[in-house]
Amino acid sequence: MAGETFQELIDRALDAYAELAELGETVEDEWSYVNDLADAWRARFDHVVEHRGHAPAPDEASEATDRAIDEIGRIEDPHRAIDWLSTFPQVVLIAMGERP
Amino acid sequence: MRFQDAAQDARSVVYAGIQADPLVGRCAVLLADANPAERVLARAVMNGETIEPDHWRAMFPTLFGSGATDDATVLARSEAILQASLAVADRGEQVRSQVRGALVEELTAQLLMRRSVPGAVKRERRILFDGVPAEIHPYDVTVEAAPAAEAYDCKWGARGINADVLHQLDDARAHASDEDERLTVALVVFDARRSCEVRLARQSAPHGATGLVTIESLDALALPAR
Repeated sequence: MAGETFQELIDRALDAYAELAELGETVEDEWSYVNDLADAWRARFDHVVEHRGHAPAPDEASEATDRAIDEIGRIEDPHRAIDWLSTFPQVVLIAMGERP
Repeated sequence: MRFQDAAQDARSVVYAGIQADPLVGRCAVLLADANPAERVLARAVMNGETIEPDHWRAMFPTLFGSGATDDATVLARSEAILQASLAVADRGEQVRSQVRGALVEELTAQLLMRRSVPGAVKRERRILFDGVPAEIHPYDVTVEAAPAAEAYDCKWGARGINADVLHQLDDARAHASDEDERLTVALVVFDARRSCEVRLARQSAPHGATGLVTIESLDALALPAR
């Protein structure tokens, strides 16, 4: 989505991330881990919002986030979803020029 | 303390075939020299659903977009990592899982070989101590050299960290200490430190003396041991 701020980009990413976490939560033994993991990465995104949430995001970062959201939207296996609960934030942060 | 090759069984024979897959070696060579974003690219693609290259190029604009380096060598490496990772992703789910595990081990071994004496880095080894029953599972990678040996367990993702592996590593370190030997033990995880720390925080097994090498700090394996 071109012309958005980092805050808007991250909001979109976190909406998709919440759905991914819901899928991961269906692995009952990992429910707590899934939630702790998601909280830890949300905190990292919050830090980015705090520092440059109002700055315009490069169009390429927005496009990259769209692609990453599309990728996790294809996941049906909850175990793969758990793996992507770690991978997705890394991909989005790198696209924004941040270190994971 | 002494080292020996792990006993061969049906599973280890099958896994040896995976370890010898040329694709594993090719990926490890590329990732040994990769930058952090390229390593995350490999992780994402090998975990991915899509095998369309342009999808991944667009997802990593810092590697393939307008902001990418103009260094042709780095650009070629990023593209080679993408292609090799897609080749892994194109395997069936079970095979790709085995390939990913073998890749982390091979990458670990290659990085350790950069600072170890020839022949010191070994794979699939057991560590034996006087009066202590041997562990069933071998250590993925060892560095068998004085004054301090090293043992590594390698994981594709943070979720692979569990009580069994933490106990095995810490027990080995403690038994070595009992024999007045020094054994450095560590986990190598091809995943973000943040995720590994979340996983470790949930573990009650001892891990205070176990090192943690993550996707961000892999290059430290090639530096002289402290």
